[in-house]
Amino acid sequence: MNIIGIESYLIIGLVLFLIGLFTAISRKNIIGIFMGIELILNSSALNFAAFSRFSARSLEGQLFSIFIIVIAAAEAAIALALLLSIYRRFGDIDADKLDSMKG
Amino acid sequence: MEFGIKELIFIFVAAMTIVPCFFVAFSRNILHSAFALFFTFLGASGLYFFLDADFLALVQLIIYIGGVLVLLLFAILLTRNIDNIRKTNAMAKNRAIAAGAGVAVMFCILIYAFVISSRPFSHAENAAYPAVTIKALGSLLLTKYLLPFEAVSLLLLAVLIGSLVIAGRLEK
Repeated sequence: MNIIGIESYLIIGLVLFLIGLFTAISRKNIIGIFMGIELILNSSALNFAAFSRFSARSLEGQLFSIFIIVIAAAEAAIALALLLSIYRRFGDIDADKLDSMKG
Repeated sequence: MEFGIKELIFIFVAAMTIVPCFFVAFSRNILHSAFALFFTFLGASGLYFFLDADFLALVQLIIYIGGVLVLLLFAILLTRNIDNIRKTNAMAKNRAIAAGAGVAVMFCILIYAFVISSRPFSHAENAAYPAVTIKALGSLLLTKYLLPFEAVSLLLLAVLIGSLVIAGRLEK
């Protein structure tokens, strides 16, 4: 078996996704949570590209990767704008302390 | 199984993608997490090159490293004093334990599913795959996927205006 195959990519995507999930759940800092979400989106884009290359042999998977990257960038802009706004209002970006809505 | 320089570089790039992830997840210093994220994005870009996805690799470099990461560093430096940055990235203890257990269980299940799946994922190794993807991607984007393309454009416009409205108010 060739080491540059879809199996390697699936394992890499799996590890990226799970570490991203762990980061997003366990961090207190909003920026840390956001980093976890970026890792998850990165792993999904990587998986789409890998399936497009090895399984489907067409470019449409890469197109989905591009859409994922665009949406990740949009999410980054909005999340960081919200974060600055939260910091200005509460003076803190600890996700556990933002409980005005008693969620 | 042959083992040439290409496989060595692939293993190096894969390690460069995965190893910094653990720093992102476990580092106490959020600036260190951000710099580890830089290596992860760089490694992912290298992995795209190994998939013959040249446009995607460039997009990964430009958007993630040039855009998202710089924005992230700006946010870190704008929201926290640099002197107490050493303890800025704490974990919630009980949530970390729960998340670790959940992630470990998920890892075992998915690896098991991966091992027992008999269906070969890859086939048609020698089918045609374009050497340069940019032209084909562009024509796909403007013919078959025109509607998602326009929707994403609209989304980006909305994000541009929305982030200005949310973050732009400096005066009381």
